[in-house]
Amino acid sequence: MRIIVHREKCQGHARCWSMAPEIFALDDEGYIVPGDIDVAPEDEQRAWRGAKSCPERALDIEK
Amino acid sequence: MISMAAARPVPAHVPPEMVGEFSLFTAPGMAPTPNGDPQAAAACVHAGPRIFYSPLNTRDGRGTWVITRAADQRRVLQDPETFSSHRSIFASALGETWPMIPLELDPPEHGVFRSLLNPLLSPRRVMALEPAVRERAAFLIDRIAAAGTSCDVMKAFAFPFAVNIFLRFLGLSDDRLEEFVGWATDLLHGDDRKRPAAARTIVAFIDDLAAERRRQPTEDFMSFLVQAKVHDRPLTDMEVRGVGVLLFIAGLDTVAAAIGFDLAYLARNLEDQRLLRREPQRIVLAAEELLRAYPTVQMIRVATKDIDFEGAPIRKGDYVSCATMIANRDPHEFDCPETIDLAREDNRHQAFAYGPHRCLGSHLARREIVIGLEEWLKRIPDFRIRQGTAPIAYGGHVFGIEDLILDWS
Repeated sequence: MRIIVHREKCQGHARCWSMAPEIFALDDEGYIVPGDIDVAPEDEQRAWRGAKSCPERALDIEK
Repeated sequence: MISMAAARPVPAHVPPEMVGEFSLFTAPGMAPTPNGDPQAAAACVHAGPRIFYSPLNTRDGRGTWVITRAADQRRVLQDPETFSSHRSIFASALGETWPMIPLELDPPEHGVFRSLLNPLLSPRRVMALEPAVRERAAFLIDRIAAAGTSCDVMKAFAFPFAVNIFLRFLGLSDDRLEEFVGWATDLLHGDDRKRPAAARTIVAFIDDLAAERRRQPTEDFMSFLVQAKVHDRPLTDMEVRGVGVLLFIAGLDTVAAAIGFDLAYLARNLEDQRLLRREPQRIVLAAEELLRAYPTVQMIRVATKDIDFEGAPIRKGDYVSCATMIANRDPHEFDCPETIDLAREDNRHQAFAYGPHRCLGSHLARREIVIGLEEWLKRIPDFRIRQGTAPIAYGGHVFGIEDLILDWS
């Protein structure tokens, strides 16, 4: 699984981080660190939850 | 309260068939109501048109377009060029025009101040505040439990909890907590005499505090503000005031109201209450559903140009309302929106709004709610609303709840 990060859409809700802080790294202002995220199989459920929780739809899931 | 005499006539460009009756101030369920549910009452708009004009939908008697769909609200809130935040809600109570910052600014100036303030309330910073938050919750709830088997939740817990945390963040002691809460109450819920008086008091307080911190800086928020720079220069006195006043009032009513609504829900839904007590790891997800169900504010924007928005002929200068509680019960966005499902997974609610002005305090607010519920459920056994009492819930400018008396055995 890969999470495509649309950094320009991020408004710092941090819903992704609150679901899985070790998968979705944030900068000092609370915005997502740029760059797509490769997800290990054992982390897929939590990554899915985090990506789906983004109100700005800034995170796409690529299986 | 709404001054009916101040209500303005419907502008000529609004087609009569687009005028709707709903108002966050005067609709059924919005006035203070025993056992009321103003958020559920506001959801009635979803039976009507996608967008309509409400002749009386702000505290100062203005009409607004009402955006009912979550997706449409996102469009508005992500387009600050068309839908501006330039207003002076606070200052106008004093007959003045300075903006609250960053609330009443548009990009790019908005971003400059937002970048300055974001690190102070970022998720990482909030994590550092957590032990103090938990300690405060524990202290208050232990005191409630030791005193007996009932309490007035807003007075004994919700306000002293939320307001203390925020005052501590601002660097203010909470020995004047009740006084501060009184100012906020008068400002947000007072009449045409109390509101300007409260506004003047709050401004004077912030100005004095800023002057004191300029003389003798400490480590607190106001010290940070008077020493901070934007565009390589210090903030002006008006800018310090604009930020200080906003932060002062932002943290007072909102989180306390959320906790009140949440505990009222759990008091009325014993199975859910028991589930969270048994399985506290569910509280984080449950808190999101409770944010969806019981948000408290509406965003107002001002059109900067004429625009046809989904059939609505919006003119430059028109007010547009994006109410969080309306978006959060949009059936196009949420399955069974009227059902409160504490295990709801697909939950992109908008309790903290959207776009560049998304609530700066959201991370702190979220953790306060979660920690407040965790600590409450640890210490207080099965609780319910005391028989013979009825909490009063109200809509309007900022939704709220009071006289919430819980008891337990």
